[in-house]
Amino acid sequence: MTAEPDAIVESDAAPLGVSARPPRSLIRAFWPIAVTGAVLALVPLWLGDSRLMMRLAVDALVFGAYAVAFNVIFGSTNQLFLCVGALAGVGGYTSVILSDRAGLPMAVGMVLATTLATALGGLLSWIAVRRSLDVIFTGIVTLAFSLSFANLVLGQRKLTGGETGLLVSAGDGSFLRDRVAAYYLFLGMLLAFLVVFRALQRSQIGWAFRALRDNELAAELAGVDVARYRVYAGLIGSAMLGVTGAVFTHSDGFISPSTFEFGHVDVRVLVMLAFGGLGTLLGPVVGTVVFTVMDEVLVDSGQLRTVLYGLLITALFLGFKRGAVPATTDFLRLVARRARSRVERPP
Amino acid sequence: MLEVSGLSAGYLGENVVEGVDLEVGVGQAVTIIGSNGAGKTTLFRALCGMLPVSAGRVRFDGENITGRPTHRVARAGLAYVPAERHLFPGMSVRENLLLGAYPGRPDPSALQLVFDLFPRLEERRRQPAGSLSGGEQQMLAVGRALMARPRLLMLDEPTTGLAPKLAKSAYEALQVLKEKGVTLLVAEQQVPLALSLADRGYVLENGRIRLEGASEDLARNPEVRRAYLGVA
Amino acid sequence: MTAVVLDGIVLGLQFGLLGVGMTLVYGLGGVLNLAYGQMAVLAAMVVAVTLAAGAPALVAAGAGVLAAAAAGVVLDRTLMQPVYRQRGEHRVLLGLLLTLGVAFVIDGLLVWRYPTGTLRLAIGGQAVPILGVRMRVGSLWATGISLAVAALLLLFRATTPGRAAHSVIQDEVGARLVGINPAAVRLFIFALSGALAGLVAETRSMTSPVSVTAGFDFTILALIVAVVGGLGNVAGAFLAGVLLGIVSTVSAYYIGQYITTIVLLGAAALTIVIRPRGLLGR
Repeated sequence: MTAEPDAIVESDAAPLGVSARPPRSLIRAFWPIAVTGAVLALVPLWLGDSRLMMRLAVDALVFGAYAVAFNVIFGSTNQLFLCVGALAGVGGYTSVILSDRAGLPMAVGMVLATTLATALGGLLSWIAVRRSLDVIFTGIVTLAFSLSFANLVLGQRKLTGGETGLLVSAGDGSFLRDRVAAYYLFLGMLLAFLVVFRALQRSQIGWAFRALRDNELAAELAGVDVARYRVYAGLIGSAMLGVTGAVFTHSDGFISPSTFEFGHVDVRVLVMLAFGGLGTLLGPVVGTVVFTVMDEVLVDSGQLRTVLYGLLITALFLGFKRGAVPATTDFLRLVARRARSRVERPP
Repeated sequence: MLEVSGLSAGYLGENVVEGVDLEVGVGQAVTIIGSNGAGKTTLFRALCGMLPVSAGRVRFDGENITGRPTHRVARAGLAYVPAERHLFPGMSVRENLLLGAYPGRPDPSALQLVFDLFPRLEERRRQPAGSLSGGEQQMLAVGRALMARPRLLMLDEPTTGLAPKLAKSAYEALQVLKEKGVTLLVAEQQVPLALSLADRGYVLENGRIRLEGASEDLARNPEVRRAYLGVA
Repeated sequence: MTAVVLDGIVLGLQFGLLGVGMTLVYGLGGVLNLAYGQMAVLAAMVVAVTLAAGAPALVAAGAGVLAAAAAGVVLDRTLMQPVYRQRGEHRVLLGLLLTLGVAFVIDGLLVWRYPTGTLRLAIGGQAVPILGVRMRVGSLWATGISLAVAALLLLFRATTPGRAAHSVIQDEVGARLVGINPAAVRLFIFALSGALAGLVAETRSMTSPVSVTAGFDFTILALIVAVVGGLGNVAGAFLAGVLLGIVSTVSAYYIGQYITTIVLLGAAALTIVIRPRGLLGR
């Protein structure tokens, strides 16, 4: 199939999720993370008394972590992993099964679960690389994995509790179950993920990733091992997802298929990044804050909430290719530049 | 039949061809010669609506067709055979040809005309176009363009990828078409072949028309001989 | 066993048509329409509502198909235009995301309006024995309609407009060069794909109820069939549909429902990894 519009003009539209070059200086590169951490650390002081609010806050952090992982995988190396929820679910369910059913210590269970999720994600990347799968095929394969995992969990009722889910006993009584403690733990994880994301951007790997995004053939010719970096991104991102899923499950005390299903996780991550910006550093944070607030406000609207999210995805990706926030900051930067040049030019 | 005045066009805001004037009269064979990168393909694409025109005008039989989309230019009677040919690889030779007559109903006499001109195509009429050799694909591309009985036939480097013997027979076929009264506009790098067919020619260099004239005059022109015919 | 296979063929023919609608839009526009299943459900709901209002069955059925086709037209004329302006990978991605958004909008609206909406086309009559198996009348109707539509599609392919549509899939630039307007063809095909989706929802409801929440299930199924058949290949989608229909009923009968879904998903994934061009793709 050849698809050329009427005018054979090279499209200069930037690919979705282009990762911009990170600042060179260490301070400029990492201070946003520090500030974000400081601001978010204050949240429990304000909301700590309400169990419901803290629950939402933890939820927000967890989804922020998911989004950073997605940014690592898709934002850097253009691998459309439509299995964010499933990989986190692998982490969650494996950890619960190993600790509750098989009697392993919780920490061991979590480590093994994370390893499994990492391995599966890495495998998906590796397959996509070996078979030179383009974005759409990668998306379909990962979607198939995601849906298969959901069906597997539903089908293996004895092991997983099926549709009704399982109460998680491992972790009960530990600090994980305390909402405020859990909040700080997840905040720490989110900040750590952001640091990893930033560090990756600034590293050799990050440079290679950007070369990959711009022109894969040129990158290969320049000696960039496309395959290796794709798999690295897959491994790192999947590890983030697996560990988050595992820790969250033990902290929440309950696991069910709906916690990790595509409609619940992947769609939300997409909406968040549509707001905050695909491939940006703080996009996940901005996105999760906006989404959590919005979701709470709309909690009583039932199905209409779905409609709104659909409209948001459509409108945001239509209007702002990189995300609402990056587009707005680009626009503001443009306005500022014009204003400055007008001032500098002699009358 | 075709009048181009002051045409400029290019990609991403930069003009590749600038201020081109050319004319093709009814029944004439006109050639545009120039080396690689001179802008021949860009010019043709702009004429056919495949590329936006940044300046200038194109008139076809008195009608202004500047910037008209490709499919409507084709329906106006201007058939374009690009260097890449753009055949339908999974469809048979016959189906490719029948589609050439779109939107009219396939005319069996037109089909026979093409088969008379290119007997090889008749032999292979049920074969998928993608399985044909380079020379046969070129024949099919020209044949498909002829099915609509175009008033003007534009060809971009018809000898691309053809061995010298095939290139020569391609031009022999074009000569037959010319004798039948088909108006031709051919862009060509192989200058001797082009000048042997054409009545008039234009030399395109760096996007601008440098010379124009009757083909005998161009063939004798010392600059042309030096640059394109390898003669000191 | 024969009964299971026959049921599989009945199902498979519908799978096939469902896949054809999906693969046509991909072949022509390079777009994976993730709102496809919602178009099917829209048709089902229109039929249900029209029937409840007392309209004769044929009118209701026609209204459903028309509604889905209209949805296709609206989608093509509006949201797909910016998508078509993109090229290659960007086009697929943007198309995916936009149609996903549309899918949620339609799904949400339909479920909100008809929370328990279900379409059941009960066709009375005695079961008919075929090859020793008593086939329900609903199944026979579904099969008959599916075969008739398949035959129509085949016939259409041999006509000039059908050839023109196919040529756009083969080489869009080439199609323009012979005077075919790809935008008009894309519009027609989008409408056709909607009509097919609606039709499959209706024939499906002759054998088992179609719920208002079935949208995404339809979409995933269509995607699997289209991928296994070879994206863009109409005959491939039909063949894949029939095969997967039989696999599906056999697996569901002997193993279980959840495993069956995994098997179908696995078939798609395996196709992509082992033979990306699918059964009949180029």
